[in-house]
Amino acid sequence: MRLNGVHIEDTFAEAFPMLGTRLVITADTPAWVQAAVVSMTGFATSVIACGCEAALERVLPSDETPDSRPGAAVLLFAMSRAELAKQVARRVGQCVMTCPGTACYAGLRNGPTIPLGNALRYFGDGWQIAKRVGSRRYWRIPVMDGEFLCEAATAAVDGVGGGNFIILAADRRAGLAAAQAAVLAIREVPGAILPFPGGVVRSGSKIGGKYKGMIASTNTAFCPTLRAAVPASLVPEGVESILELVIDGVNEAAVGAAMRAGITAVAGQGATGGVVSVTAGNYGGKLGRYQFRLHEVMA
Amino acid sequence: MSGVILTTRDPSGPPIDMTGVLPERLIEGGREALARLMLVRGRGRHRLDALFTLEDGGPPGTLILRPGGAMLDGVGAGMTAGDLQVEGECGAYAGSAMRGGTLTVAGSCGAFAAAGMVGGCLRVAGDAGDFLGAPLAGGTRGMSGGSAVVMGNAGDRVGERMRRGLIAVHGRVGSLCGARMIAGTIVVGAGCGPDAGQAMRRGSILLSQAPDAVPSGFVDGGMNDWLFLDLMRKELIDGGAWPSGFPTAGTRARRLIGDRSAGGVGEVLILSTA
Repeated sequence: MRLNGVHIEDTFAEAFPMLGTRLVITADTPAWVQAAVVSMTGFATSVIACGCEAALERVLPSDETPDSRPGAAVLLFAMSRAELAKQVARRVGQCVMTCPGTACYAGLRNGPTIPLGNALRYFGDGWQIAKRVGSRRYWRIPVMDGEFLCEAATAAVDGVGGGNFIILAADRRAGLAAAQAAVLAIREVPGAILPFPGGVVRSGSKIGGKYKGMIASTNTAFCPTLRAAVPASLVPEGVESILELVIDGVNEAAVGAAMRAGITAVAGQGATGGVVSVTAGNYGGKLGRYQFRLHEVMA
Repeated sequence: MSGVILTTRDPSGPPIDMTGVLPERLIEGGREALARLMLVRGRGRHRLDALFTLEDGGPPGTLILRPGGAMLDGVGAGMTAGDLQVEGECGAYAGSAMRGGTLTVAGSCGAFAAAGMVGGCLRVAGDAGDFLGAPLAGGTRGMSGGSAVVMGNAGDRVGERMRRGLIAVHGRVGSLCGARMIAGTIVVGAGCGPDAGQAMRRGSILLSQAPDAVPSGFVDGGMNDWLFLDLMRKELIDGGAWPSGFPTAGTRARRLIGDRSAGGVGEVLILSTA
């Protein structure tokens, strides 16, 4: 398949089940929302070492938040319900509750829940107050600037992690331009996030490595500088830079839609923009149960 | 099948215990089951159709008492589902031990309305008597769920020993509002009598103006912004339960914490219009 001169390889991205939740964070100003979100989603790029994968889903205007203040929706994913609950409690407790003026609400309602305010209430040292408003239960935790309002629990849903595609570009500048265009496009897709810095991964990995204890190591097949040295190199002639976009979503459809939006944006840069081809990372179908075939995604 | 309208044959007689006259009985057994129901009036027991005339009317599954009357005690007591409407006033125990459904009283109701309520919604267009949302006789816990909205005034001991749920009184309430309250929310639109929150452990009493007097066990927590008020206001405005005298914007309120003499960390919040 060729789009705007860009070759779309006939392969598939291999993704795996994760558990995810959405949180809505509000504050007095957009700047404080951003401060909380940046802090909360920091060091949440990969479950390999971070415990969870998290990122801003979208900024919310005041009329879309529960308390009519500026806000943001954040998605967090982990490999198990227990780990997700632990990461949510830690990150909300350390990064949202500490941020001036913030409040934290559940962004998903249906399904089994994990504790949110229920896990943080003890910080109130006995002065915390539960308050039910309509069908929702909140905890009001006294803090030094007033009160931290936090919904009691949030729903955890079966999500999809590890959706991806890989951009092969003539040089680093062209690869980065294509990746950034893809990031902008994917951020418009609801229910999907790009957990890596700026939405892009430059250190794509393969499973295992030559050193004992390494869970993952550099994806040598896609390292342009190793093309001549690695027999199984997948780097074609004329490619100097390769970047990967990793996508997590609340369901298969969200990941598929994000991949389509991203690849379309990459193809929009065209061969004249230095994009050579688009491929995807997979492990021969051994890693996860979800397979996103690029040609089907783009059909 | 339409609803049923019950009209009292003898409104001047002794009180009628309306326990069991519920819309769910109509839904389950139809009009006949309702007509056969035995009710206590004075010293005697009578079939319902001996005390009331029955005619079709209103939406399906709805029970309408027309014109109601202060001699009708226990209207909607123990109700679990459906819609019960009183077109006039009713007596004591309206909606007591109610678990679900909606009870609407177009006039006023007597004492112990919503007492021991667990769920559902009671709406009173007029006034309510003493012990609104309080425990039933012999009980240790007041209202533990649901909502009671009174558009007029209410008597003493509103929400006594209340555990959960919402009581909203648009007018004024008497003394000892929220006394021994355990949790939940009481909203009072036009001031309350003395000793609001006496021995309360937790829960919130929202007022538009400072109470006549608060128990000595309350301490002044000062003014602050309370974000949950914004959520609560939206919810109550949607349900018609936000008193008209309350500010419709802003989250500032003065907070009195208590009753510290009972080890309580409840709150009396006096909303600010500033």
